[in-house]
Amino acid sequence: MSLRVASRPSKYLCKSCRFDLSRARKRKYGTSSITSNPQDIYDVVTVGGGPVGLALLTALKSSPATSHLRCALIETQTLPKQKSWDLPPDQYSNRASSITPTNQSFLESIGAWKHLDLRRVQPYDEMQVGDAGNDASIQFDWKAEAVRYNAPLRTVATMVENANLTRALLRRLEELDAEDCLLSSSSVASIGNGIDDPEGLNLSNWPVISLNSAGTAESSSTRQIAARLLIGADGINSPVRTFAGISTNGWDYNRHGVVATLKLEPQPDSPFSSSSSDPNSALEDFLSDDTQTTSTSPSQATNENITPSNRATAYQRFLPSLGGPIAILPLPNNHASLVWSTTPQIASTLKSLSPSALASTINAALRLNEVDIKYMLSLPSSSDNEHDHESELTWRLQHTPQPPPARAPPMITAVQPHTPASFPLRLRNASSYISPRLALAGDAAHTIHPLAGQGLNLGLGDAEALARCILGSVACGADVGDAMRLEGYSAERYGRAVEMGGGVDVLNGVYQMGGEGSLSGDGVVGGLLGRMRGLGMWVVGNVPGVKEGIMRRAG
Amino acid sequence: MSRVPRIAPRLLRQPWQTTQREGATAVAVLRPTTVRLYSTTPARAHAAQPSGTGSSVSASEVTHFTNLASSWWDPHGPSRLLHLMNPLRHDFIKSCLSTSADSAAVGPERAKKYAYLDIGCGGGIFASSAARLPSTSSVTAIDPTAEVIKVAKEHQRADPLLSLPGRLNYVNCAIEDLESHLKTFDFVTLFEVIEHIDRPSTFLRQALNHLKPGGWLIGSTIARHPLSYFTTKVIAEAPWPIGVVPRGTHDWDKYINPSELRDWFAKENREASERGEEDIYGAVKVEGCVCLPLVGWKFVGRSEEFGNYFFGVQKLR
Repeated sequence: MSLRVASRPSKYLCKSCRFDLSRARKRKYGTSSITSNPQDIYDVVTVGGGPVGLALLTALKSSPATSHLRCALIETQTLPKQKSWDLPPDQYSNRASSITPTNQSFLESIGAWKHLDLRRVQPYDEMQVGDAGNDASIQFDWKAEAVRYNAPLRTVATMVENANLTRALLRRLEELDAEDCLLSSSSVASIGNGIDDPEGLNLSNWPVISLNSAGTAESSSTRQIAARLLIGADGINSPVRTFAGISTNGWDYNRHGVVATLKLEPQPDSPFSSSSSDPNSALEDFLSDDTQTTSTSPSQATNENITPSNRATAYQRFLPSLGGPIAILPLPNNHASLVWSTTPQIASTLKSLSPSALASTINAALRLNEVDIKYMLSLPSSSDNEHDHESELTWRLQHTPQPPPARAPPMITAVQPHTPASFPLRLRNASSYISPRLALAGDAAHTIHPLAGQGLNLGLGDAEALARCILGSVACGADVGDAMRLEGYSAERYGRAVEMGGGVDVLNGVYQMGGEGSLSGDGVVGGLLGRMRGLGMWVVGNVPGVKEGIMRRAG
Repeated sequence: MSRVPRIAPRLLRQPWQTTQREGATAVAVLRPTTVRLYSTTPARAHAAQPSGTGSSVSASEVTHFTNLASSWWDPHGPSRLLHLMNPLRHDFIKSCLSTSADSAAVGPERAKKYAYLDIGCGGGIFASSAARLPSTSSVTAIDPTAEVIKVAKEHQRADPLLSLPGRLNYVNCAIEDLESHLKTFDFVTLFEVIEHIDRPSTFLRQALNHLKPGGWLIGSTIARHPLSYFTTKVIAEAPWPIGVVPRGTHDWDKYINPSELRDWFAKENREASERGEEDIYGAVKVEGCVCLPLVGWKFVGRSEEFGNYFFGVQKLR
């Protein structure tokens, strides 16, 4: 009698879940010919050597209860090269992510955080959010809590270059003596299923991966490995997800995220300097930081509200008629990372500008009103008129009301060469994160809009939850690939991703309505929408608990 | 004890009669079924009978489980509750070990590996999970129903770890057929078994014969209480979509209360002391658990009085 799911389909499952379960043996990716069961059998095979896949492997290997599992991680790029990544202190990679405190704790618990080059990492304690369509602004920080409990200021998030994080995880794996799990420079040629060998094992619902390993130029080998649990941490076009036959829902935003590394103007006692700023002079700035006033005299500072100064501030300004927000995220030594979500046309304009013109345009985007920004973007970008952008900016700044110094974004002085780049923005969510002997994590499971900096954080949360699920299975002797055990992982992460992805999608939609010349039209409707958003922002910032609730949920 | 009003023809059971499957409409009579545990009817000689029809096994039970065999490993099938309960079994075993009389753990690395005998293993939910633990040396799993042993062996073939030689051994037999291996097991496990046995007293004695001194008898069953009648017969065996197990799975009359178990082991100890010997068994450890919808199984204090519970007894010598 062959082992199979009961022939009468279970009444307790909806049609699509039943379909998924019965499809398990028919899953495939690529054309694979598997005529015999592989000798190489692994407990956990992870496809994808990005931060999410590496974090999962590190979590499994750093816990004594799961370190005995036979693991493999398959990555097309050369991981040893990533372990030796190095940039001088005045240059930063343009791919940097904002890591929440929860994920920082996770990375500390698996022993990877200490391997980061902490001089290249910038914790920030405040996020200033503004809207070009109105005067509203909101500051996300934990200052109220710090004042109430007389405690040090809590970090909102920490900016870490992706390459720094990857290198730290690889170093931790070396420390754990687990580098033989890394199948670097290997690509997945196809994924199929094992066979039911009448004289041996029945691996017909075990995924079997055919790998091409690039050895030397002449020799490249193919091998087949069987996985008790196959994990897809292989990005938005995940082959593992394709193997499982899991569909995705979502849409393209028709927007691009433009990234670059910026150099900022150092201010005296600038919050962007890597040493902690002088408490007294910065104090007045922050004490005057309330929503009604635009300027306060130092004499209004009271001793009752002594909050510690923050180490750095992140800035985000919504540009409703330009396709999305611009964000400046702090890095050490007066550097910052730019993420500007905008239309494809504006993105290609920005990438074609000279570094100094781009710097002026970014400054304009942070300070001027949208009509002026649009004008600046329309200036020709050829190198003859290199100072046009700068002079336009200077002239227009004189005629635009500026936010108070405490809330003013920094002036960009330069753009690091070769860092401007862009990537398309999309929303994707897999219809299921699990399948028998299979789980998806990171971008393979969900891709969201970058405006809240939560994409990688969701992925790291997936890695933590999946490692915990595997640990629970091992503790009770269960098969780590058992579909019922994986349900716990799916239940924990699916709702979370939908909440986050859906939330930023709604926010993105709301912040592209209204604003001069936007799709909602100029004039009355646009102005009204802008005012409503301003009211919304005021509510979030001033109704007690709402802002803290959002920060807690996101962090 | 109070009487449950009769609403249908019911059984008046004497201890020597086998149970008849009646399904959910049979109303149980509340009678002191301590008689069930203290029955002194000797085990019938079974030499002429094929394996599986010995004294501890009821033919109707075998038939019932034969029908359930093919869906045993369906995670959304009738056995889902057993799958969900399995982690609690391991938690209970760990908590018994920690109270063990010889729990002088030798440093962080416990080199000791355990041998298990799982009686009434069914499709092997517990047996296979025990076989995967790093602290297990071997698991012998027996069941009188041939069809479920076939399912268990098929499941074993799908896992290289379980197929390692000597790790997991399924045998289609009843406990009385297992003449060898006396006193060779660290754990004898009886999960959701004793409520399907006609003569539990004899059965327990046979099971305990296979325990090493210092070994543990660990099992789970259901207490006999009006509330357990309601939950396990009226609700759990109700038609879809309310019910979760097939009709006829349980017979309320056969449930055993924790107090009855305690009395039985106390009696064994008393008889030993009358003979001038030391206590054979340690104190009976009991933990109640409850299955909550959408949550699963949880240990709930004092729920052993009216619902499912785990029991563990150490054989001291």
